[in-house]
Amino acid sequence: MNHILNITATNTPAVVERLLQVTRYRGYELAGLQLTPRSDAKSLSITLTVSSDKPIHLLTSQLHKLYDVQQLELAGSELAVLSA
Amino acid sequence: MKGAELVLQVLQQHGVDTIFGYPGGAIMPIYDALYQSNVKHYLCRHEQGGAFSAIGYARASGKVGVCMATSGPGATNLITSLADAMLDSVPVVAITGQVSQAVMGSDAFQEIDVLGLSLAVTKHSFMVRSVEELAATLHEAFAIACNGRPGPVLVDIPKDVQLAEVDYQPERGSTAKAVPVNTSLANAAKARALIAAAQKPVAYIGGGVHMAGAMPQLQQFLAANPMPSVTTLKAMGSVAKDNAHYLGMLGMHGTQAANLAVQQCDLLICLGARFDDRVTGNLQKFAPHAKVIHVDIDPAEINKVRFANVALLGDMKQILPAISTNNNYTDWLAHCAQLKQQYGWRYDHPGERIYAPLMLKQLSERMPDNSVVCCDVGQHQMWVAQHMRFSSPRNHLSSGGLGTMGFGLPAAIGAKLARPQDTVITVSGDGSFMMNVQELATIKRFRLPVKIVIVDNQRLGMVKQWQQLFFNERYSETDLSDNPDFVALAAAFAIPGHCITRKDEVESALEAMFTWPGPYLLHVCIDDKDNVWPLVPPGAANEEMITELKA
Repeated sequence: MNHILNITATNTPAVVERLLQVTRYRGYELAGLQLTPRSDAKSLSITLTVSSDKPIHLLTSQLHKLYDVQQLELAGSELAVLSA
Repeated sequence: MKGAELVLQVLQQHGVDTIFGYPGGAIMPIYDALYQSNVKHYLCRHEQGGAFSAIGYARASGKVGVCMATSGPGATNLITSLADAMLDSVPVVAITGQVSQAVMGSDAFQEIDVLGLSLAVTKHSFMVRSVEELAATLHEAFAIACNGRPGPVLVDIPKDVQLAEVDYQPERGSTAKAVPVNTSLANAAKARALIAAAQKPVAYIGGGVHMAGAMPQLQQFLAANPMPSVTTLKAMGSVAKDNAHYLGMLGMHGTQAANLAVQQCDLLICLGARFDDRVTGNLQKFAPHAKVIHVDIDPAEINKVRFANVALLGDMKQILPAISTNNNYTDWLAHCAQLKQQYGWRYDHPGERIYAPLMLKQLSERMPDNSVVCCDVGQHQMWVAQHMRFSSPRNHLSSGGLGTMGFGLPAAIGAKLARPQDTVITVSGDGSFMMNVQELATIKRFRLPVKIVIVDNQRLGMVKQWQQLFFNERYSETDLSDNPDFVALAAAFAIPGHCITRKDEVESALEAMFTWPGPYLLHVCIDDKDNVWPLVPPGAANEEMITELKA
């Protein structure tokens, strides 16, 4: 199952590593990553697509705790097989 | 002023008067500023020890612990202790020097990517890129360490930032006060309904209760709703000593009464705990008849490993009164009291040799009120949890989540500096003690009257116990029969000591230890065949405890 997370995060040097570290450690596979600096350059718009059979709340609840994450919403989930 | 001086100014603004650390090249400007500072620095003899002292200081006092190290090896030596603070939710601020920004990224001498290393072991971490952002970053670090679920924060400061000049005027109120915890009582009525409907409730108490400052509210809750209670390793001492319904620690080495009550209960009220695997045993078989009320400050703990029928998030001090009802569980209390009596500890161990559980019970009864006991990790740690009683979790410092050998001695140094009026005792094993033995030099230097009890079975006892039970008695690398002479070792650090081997020596040896005004080492030799019982084997349910088997 793929899950798409739309994240707004403070643009700090390690913020992407933090997102990826939590994603890996909590047992989710990275299926896509896009990031764009927002107009003020102080924050980033990040779309993180992850794949796992685990419930997605186990990841989102941990990502929410990252100090640099300002907003996080689950945009949608799709079966990996359909998106392949 | 220089950035380095600013660091110390900000520490003082946060009320920090005690820090632990070790100097080195990339943090020399801060150590130079320390030379004339009112902040008292305690030189550890290994950065891991210094950070454990900061943890001991924080856990014994409730304040933020602060430690420092230089770049490279200094910083990497902090990592284990930061991981320990992370898993036990201890507020610590670690400050590391970093090579100058001009050479960062060039594999400079003593350069390592500390920010990268910190990701898995801190609540948050910072790399300070300019002296202008230094003060705000340090204030943020303190706020993050204490707010919500506490944890360690690392601030990496390049040498050029420490040396840069800055105009700094401490602003009033810039030491961010604790942010109020968002608390929702929306589910309180549902929780009260579950408690009212329950026939066999159990309160499962974790470290989150005392860390929230909710010890009074807990006693009130247990008085208004008399029910059996059990605690985790981190919460030992949360339940008042005179509470008759307290059943002890639950989990792998918990009491049989605690584990059986939890397995039989129909409602488990989890207060500031996280269903750790050492608590639950086989998760699918844990408390199989129970509905769950889960109260925590961290939303990520809700439904992480066990589904909660009702969850309440936020400040334990507000939540406990809000879920209180007045119910009567007479039959259930009687049943649990019977379990407690049936499975009470026995101390009538045959033979002349010292029986560690009895010795620790004697220590517990003899130590002054409000003593702090700092454990290491292994069999002695479980015996302490089983056989000693504490009046507060701040009096029992044990490495819970990470299970870090080498924790006890440096943690005791921090605890003694946090609470100089209270007796501080390290209970260590012969394996663990050697892992941060260099901190004896810290005790010597500062003449810290820490009492050290080494429970010595000449083995890595807990690993040996598992080898005996689950690895066909193949004792791979667990023999420590060539241990040093611990009393002679202590003497080399001007610490007097005494070695005992017989039961009838225990009382007088404890008296001598407590009577001696300074640090003291008591070397207690025990039978290597003694094991920790009961034990829930891996993969088993908590009612499938095994007891007593000699090697």
